[in-house]
Amino acid sequence: MIWEYFKLALTNLSHRRMRSYLTMIGIFIGIAAVVALVSLGQGLQQYISEEFSKIGTDKIIIMPGKGLLAPGTTLSTQLTKQDVETVQRVSGIDSAGGTVFGSVKISGKDKAIYSYAISIPETDFRATFFEMGTLEVGSGRLLEKGESGKIMIGADYVRRNLLKQQIKIGDKIKINDQEFRVVGVMKPIGNPSDDSSVYLNEQDARDLFNAPERFDYIYAKTAAGEDPLVVADAVERAMRRERNVEKGKEDFSVQTFNQLIESFNIVFGIVQAVVLGIAAISLLVGGIGIMNTMYTAVLERTKEIGIMKAIGAKNTDVLLIFLIESGLLGTVGGAIGIAIGMGLGKLVEIGAAQALGTALLRAYFPLYLIVGTLLFSFIVGSVSGLFPALQAARLPPVEALKKKY
Amino acid sequence: MMQYFKLAFTNLMHRKVRSYLTMIGIFIGIAAVVALVSLSQGLKLAVAQQFSSVGGDKILVRAAGTSYGPPGTGAVGSLTKHDLELIGNVNGVEIATGRMIRYVILEYRKELKYSFVATVPDTDEKARNLVIEANQLTTDRGRMLLPSDRNKIVVGDDYATRNAFKENMRVGDKVLLNNVDFEVVGILKRSGSPQTDMLLIMNEKTLRDLLDVPDTYDIIAAKIEAGKKPSDVVDEISRAMRMDRNQKLGDEDFTVQSAEELYKSYASILDVIQIFLVGIAGISLIVGGIGIMNTMYTAVLERTKEIGIMKAVGAKTSDILTIFLLESGMLGLVGGAIGIAIGFGLSKSVELIAVQALGTSLLKADTSPFLIFGALLFSFGIGSISGLFPALQASKLEPVDALRYE
Repeated sequence: MIWEYFKLALTNLSHRRMRSYLTMIGIFIGIAAVVALVSLGQGLQQYISEEFSKIGTDKIIIMPGKGLLAPGTTLSTQLTKQDVETVQRVSGIDSAGGTVFGSVKISGKDKAIYSYAISIPETDFRATFFEMGTLEVGSGRLLEKGESGKIMIGADYVRRNLLKQQIKIGDKIKINDQEFRVVGVMKPIGNPSDDSSVYLNEQDARDLFNAPERFDYIYAKTAAGEDPLVVADAVERAMRRERNVEKGKEDFSVQTFNQLIESFNIVFGIVQAVVLGIAAISLLVGGIGIMNTMYTAVLERTKEIGIMKAIGAKNTDVLLIFLIESGLLGTVGGAIGIAIGMGLGKLVEIGAAQALGTALLRAYFPLYLIVGTLLFSFIVGSVSGLFPALQAARLPPVEALKKKY
Repeated sequence: MMQYFKLAFTNLMHRKVRSYLTMIGIFIGIAAVVALVSLSQGLKLAVAQQFSSVGGDKILVRAAGTSYGPPGTGAVGSLTKHDLELIGNVNGVEIATGRMIRYVILEYRKELKYSFVATVPDTDEKARNLVIEANQLTTDRGRMLLPSDRNKIVVGDDYATRNAFKENMRVGDKVLLNNVDFEVVGILKRSGSPQTDMLLIMNEKTLRDLLDVPDTYDIIAAKIEAGKKPSDVVDEISRAMRMDRNQKLGDEDFTVQSAEELYKSYASILDVIQIFLVGIAGISLIVGGIGIMNTMYTAVLERTKEIGIMKAVGAKTSDILTIFLLESGMLGLVGGAIGIAIGFGLSKSVELIAVQALGTSLLKADTSPFLIFGALLFSFGIGSISGLFPALQASKLEPVDALRYE
C-alpha cells in the first residue's frame, strides 16, 4: 500500500521535472552548506579534543593569574620553583614539572623571525612533558638532560623554510643573539604556533630569559586511580596555604584538562551555533520553496484530487500522497546536498593543508551527521508540504471536480 | 511601460499565495544579509572613529614579538627612555610620548580582579596633554590626575556603573593595587569600548615605583609635524632606531606603524569576517533566487495559452520578455524592500541589546542610504536574473504551438 504511494509520488514529481529539480536544488544548496560547515567544525573540535586528551585527562595545569592569558613576563604574579615543590608534595600527585617560555628572536643567516622558545624540564618529569606535548623528533635526536647550547626546532623550520635557508642537524642558529646548535627537528604537530617553536633545556631557557625562578605553566600528573578534580582542589588548597592567600583571592588558577576541554567546547559551540544559524537560513528558504511547489501542485491537480475522492479515496490517502511527495523532494535534495557538502568539506581540508600547512581543518563526517541531516531534510520537506497537503485533503470532491484544471 | 507594470502586478496578485511565498524566500535572505552587513559596517565605522580620535598624524612604536595579548607581554626587545628621546629628535616628529600598559591585581572591598593599567607621562606637560587628548581621557566624576599625584588612580566607567566588582566604585574610594593602597580620584567618561571602560590610569612614576620598572616603555607614540607624510616619518624613525641599535633592515626588534596602517590591519580582519558571514548568509539568497525561477517557470507553463493569444494579436518577442522579466524583478524588489526593513529592525535590536547587556557602543547598526539602495538594486537584480530563463522560454514560444497547449 505505502509502496503504491511512493510510486505515485515519483510519477507525479517526474511529470513536472523542471520544477522538482529546481525545488531540490533549493534544498540541497542549504544542506550542502550546513554539512560542510558542521563537518569542518566537528573536525576542528575533535582535533583539539584529541590534542587535549593526548596530553591526558589525568593531568592538571596550573597557570599564573586567572586562566589562559598571554604568557606573562609583565604579569605581576609568577609561579616559581617553590610552587612546583608544593604541588609535588600534594597527596594524589604522581609527578609535577614546569615550563618557562617566551617570545624570542630566532635568526638564521639572512632572516630573523619572532617565535616561542619553550623549556623542557630537566627532572624526572621530562618524559611526561614530551608525552604531553606529543613532542617527537622527526630527524636528529632528542635533547639530553644537562645539555647546554643545543636546541630542537619545530618542523616548520625545515618543512616551510621559515628562516629562508636549509637547516640541517648540527647547524647553528641564533636565539636572541646567542648561538645554539640544532640537534633535532620535531615531527609536525599540526598547528603553526607549535611547529615554529624551538625547544631547549630548562637551564638554557632560564639563562636566556634571565628568569632564575619563574615558571609560566606548571603541569602535574595525578596518581593512578585518583580523581583529577579532587586532586586539583587539594593542589589549590596547598598553593593557597603556601602563598598565604585567602580563598577567592588566588593569583593562580588550577584546572584539570577536562575543565580546559569543557571551557573550550563552550566557546567553540557558540561560534559554531552562530555560523550554523546563518547557514540554516538557506534551509528555511529552501523549505519555503518546497511549500510553494506543493501549493502549486495541489492547485494544478485539484481536478485529479476530486476524481480520486469521487472513486473512494479518503482524506488521509490524499494527505499521504502529498506528504510523501514533499518528503521525497526534501530527502532527495538532502541526499544530494550531503554528497556535495562532504565534497566541499574535503576540498577545504585539502586546500587548508596545502595552502596553510595546518592539519587543524579536517572534515569529519560522523554517521549521526549524515543520518541526522537526511532525517532533517525529510522533515523540512514534510513540514513544508503539510499545509498544502492538508488543503488538498480537505477539498470537497464536488467543488474540486468543478474546477477547470 | 506603465502598462507592463500594471500587467505584472495583476498577474502576481492572481496567484497570491505563490507570490507571497516566493517573496518570503527572498526577504529572509535579504534580511539576514542586510542585518549582517549593517552591523559589521557599523562596527567598522566605530573602530574607524576610535582611530580617528587618535589622529592620522600619530605613529606607534612597539617592541617586536609583541604577539597576542597586550603590548609588553612577552616582547623580546624593549623600548626605553633612551628610545623615547631618540624618537623625539627624529626629523618630522613634533613630540613623542611613552606609555606603560601593564597587568595588575586590583582589590576592592576584598574582591580581586586582574586589570590593565596604562600610564600618563608626568614630567613633560606637552606629552601629557597629547596622551590625554589622543585617548580622549576625560573624567565624568571626580578629577583627572595631576602630575604631582602619587598613588592615585582614575578608573574606567565600568568600575563605577557596570558592577565590574560587586559594588560600584565611587570617587574617593580606597583600592589595593598589587597590595599597595591607592585612592580613586576620578572616573573616566564612558567610551563604549570595553578596553577603555575597564582601564585604570595612573602617573608614570607611580607605576614605575609599584612594579619596579625604572626604564622601559611598552609603547611609544609620536605626533608628526604638520605637513609631513606619515609614511616618510615612519621610515625616518625606523632608520634612526636601526642605527641606534645597530640592526640590519629586516632584522629589527621593534615595529613602527602609523595609526592609519594599524587601522588598516584591523579593518582587513573585520573585512574577512564580514565576507565569510555575508557569504554564508548569501547562500540563502541563491536559494531564494531559485525559488523565483521556479515560480516563473510555473507561471510560463500556466500561461502558455495566454502567451499564444498575446502573440497572435501582435505582441512582439521582446514584449513577452519584458512582461515576465518585470514580474520576476518585482518579486525580487518587493521581497527585497520587506527584507531590508526586517534586516534593519534586526540589526537595531542587536545594537540595543549590545548597549543594554554589554555596555558597548561598538555594535552599531549602520543604516546608510548606500546600503539600502545597494540591497534594493541587488534584490531587483536577483529577481530579474532568476526570471531571465523562464522569460526567454516564454518569449520564444511559437504562437501556434502555444495556442494549441492544454
